[in-house]
Amino acid sequence: MDDATVAVGGFRGKRRKPRSAAAFGRRWYGYAFVAPVALFLCAVVVVPLAHAFWTSLYRVRGLNTTFVGLGNYVRVLSDDAFWHSLGVSLVFTGCSVALHMLLGLALALLLHALAFARTPLRILFLTPWMVAPAVGATIWLWLLEPQFGVVNYLLRAAHVVSAPVAWLGEPGTALAAVVAVDVWRGVPFVMLLMLAGLQTIPAEQYEAAAIDGASAWQRFRYVTLPNLRYLIVVASTLDIINTIRHYDIIGVMTAGGPAGGTEVLPVLLYNTAFRANHFGEAAAIGVALLVLVLAFSVVYVKLTRLDRQPSA
Amino acid sequence: MMTRSTIRATLAVAFASLAIAPSIAQQPIVLQWQTANLTESQYEPVWKKTIAEFEAANPGIRIEPVLVARKDHWTKFVAAAQAKKAPCIVSVDLTTAAYNGYLMPLDKYWNAEPAAFRNAYSPAMLSAAKWKGHLYGVPIWGGTYADIYNRDLVVKAGLDPAKPPKTFADYIAWGKRLTGNDHWATAVLGGKTDTTTRVLLTWIWANGGEAFNDDMTEATFAKDPKSLAAIKTYLGFAGATGIAAPAPTTTNYLEQTTLFAQGKIATMRNAYWAVAKVEGDNRAMKGKMFVAPNPANVPNAPTLATMTASSISSSCPHPDEAWKFIKFDAGKKWSIERAVVSNWMPLRNDLANDPQIRADPLLAEFVKIGEHARSYPLPSPIWADIAANDIVDAVQRALLAPDKTDEIFRDLDARLTKKLRDI
Repeated sequence: MDDATVAVGGFRGKRRKPRSAAAFGRRWYGYAFVAPVALFLCAVVVVPLAHAFWTSLYRVRGLNTTFVGLGNYVRVLSDDAFWHSLGVSLVFTGCSVALHMLLGLALALLLHALAFARTPLRILFLTPWMVAPAVGATIWLWLLEPQFGVVNYLLRAAHVVSAPVAWLGEPGTALAAVVAVDVWRGVPFVMLLMLAGLQTIPAEQYEAAAIDGASAWQRFRYVTLPNLRYLIVVASTLDIINTIRHYDIIGVMTAGGPAGGTEVLPVLLYNTAFRANHFGEAAAIGVALLVLVLAFSVVYVKLTRLDRQPSA
Repeated sequence: MMTRSTIRATLAVAFASLAIAPSIAQQPIVLQWQTANLTESQYEPVWKKTIAEFEAANPGIRIEPVLVARKDHWTKFVAAAQAKKAPCIVSVDLTTAAYNGYLMPLDKYWNAEPAAFRNAYSPAMLSAAKWKGHLYGVPIWGGTYADIYNRDLVVKAGLDPAKPPKTFADYIAWGKRLTGNDHWATAVLGGKTDTTTRVLLTWIWANGGEAFNDDMTEATFAKDPKSLAAIKTYLGFAGATGIAAPAPTTTNYLEQTTLFAQGKIATMRNAYWAVAKVEGDNRAMKGKMFVAPNPANVPNAPTLATMTASSISSSCPHPDEAWKFIKFDAGKKWSIERAVVSNWMPLRNDLANDPQIRADPLLAEFVKIGEHARSYPLPSPIWADIAANDIVDAVQRALLAPDKTDEIFRDLDARLTKKLRDI
């Protein structure tokens, strides 16, 4: 038999690779157990992806289609709207993820340090995450309404502004508004992850640091952060993968406007498909977005492998 | 050899099947009906009555309304149509839907109807419901765009309701008198729906301009100097002229009518249905509105009249029954009901002198204004796309950067012309 080197959970070992039919006969039930899930994944992931890629090779006008090969990709990649949308996506994702991590970690530290009311506060902080994204976005849409919205009313009452602010009326403020709503919604998840990580840090490390005269900032920098490093990397990478695919909040609040100021790639895809009825080009945008997400996924896998390998 | 228990079981199943079969056979045909207006409160009492009376007269047919918000109406229809599961009866952008293969031609049903039914519609009205010579919808109702004023605010500003503005300069003079602290003369529509495009077109036509050439192969928003001048005047209301409410890029029909109902703006360019919407928002506004033709810089300038038609989707499995409902809904009774209750203008040419129609002075005025109107949507298969996306995008950019209006609309002309020639 041939020997094969395999990596299992980051630990390298050698396992003999069986070749005999008898050996396969002993293992067939393992494949049988996995088969239903594999079929399900094929049905909900592989088949739609293949169909999307196939659609991207056609010029689709409603129910009329013409094969154009890579023509849709050429059109999309030579369209300024695509590159503008990619830029908006990167800005939206970068700002949202950075704020998710910062505020999530801050809230986790706060909850971890509290000696009382931890559970009710945890539930309170989790509430935005429990609200359906479209519902939350609709609520914020009315809160930010220039003439009748609560936000402008409170700001004017506090004399912070003298005239109503059109939060969703200008590209800059609209992008800031959708980032704020996404942060409101996304922070609880990161907070939960960080809180779980904080609770695994051995108390002895903090005690040792305190004995050595470390300040609060030094304990955070030299004890908390190193212990949370792996979790921060995993959480931020997963958050990037999730945020760059977001449609719901922006779709409800601004539909990508005004003047394309919040038109992230998923919104561009939706508008191209369902407003312009160019399904072939929309599928091409979808494939481009998939490539982008896959790139981040590869980074995620590499980072998790590096962190799990035992040191020499 | 079969045992007794097997024989009994077989007989039991057979009898049960015989009992169920008639009830299965008697299941009514269910037709889905989708139009953006089913979710509007002013239409709700009318469509519920329509369905109830139709089902009572046709026990084998059940109408299932598909309720969807206005801004999602087209996308929901397209998604269903692509899957060949669109609702049977729909009211959508007819030319675009027909071009995409989403609608069924109705010629065979139309031609089979008696002359009395067919003659209720003018040739001009029917031509707006045709694509490549085939009829794809029955005109059901419409809306003529004019200027609706709040009489109290006009009088309070020292203006005479009997002498509304006739030219752009008159309108601006009125606008300045109607604008004050936290209230404005009007609102500029710049939100992401095709209502933005409708109102823009009324201003362009009122200045003698054209947004497209005759065969819709070229856009002339900037190329036509009268069109460009009108655009700058209209969008300037929210800028230099300062007579429009703030945040125009997020102002759609809903925001505009709410502002009007709350007395924040004194006038709005809208159709007759807005009267019912405003009265629904604020009962105190009943009887306090008057309507006037759009001010114009050229004689006999046309306004815009929308035409909504009921169509049958190409994937409908029961087109005969769908036609029955469309014919029922297009009848005189429901046309009058929609006009009186929902304020939707009838498109039948045999109702202009109906006493119930004439009894409403506002409706009568709209009918008169509508005698000189151009049909909307414009006859292009990509109209749904360019009206709600490209033109709105240009309007929003021009509102945010007024000094670049020329450049923005020149780019729009180039982009639209390319799209129109790429059909």
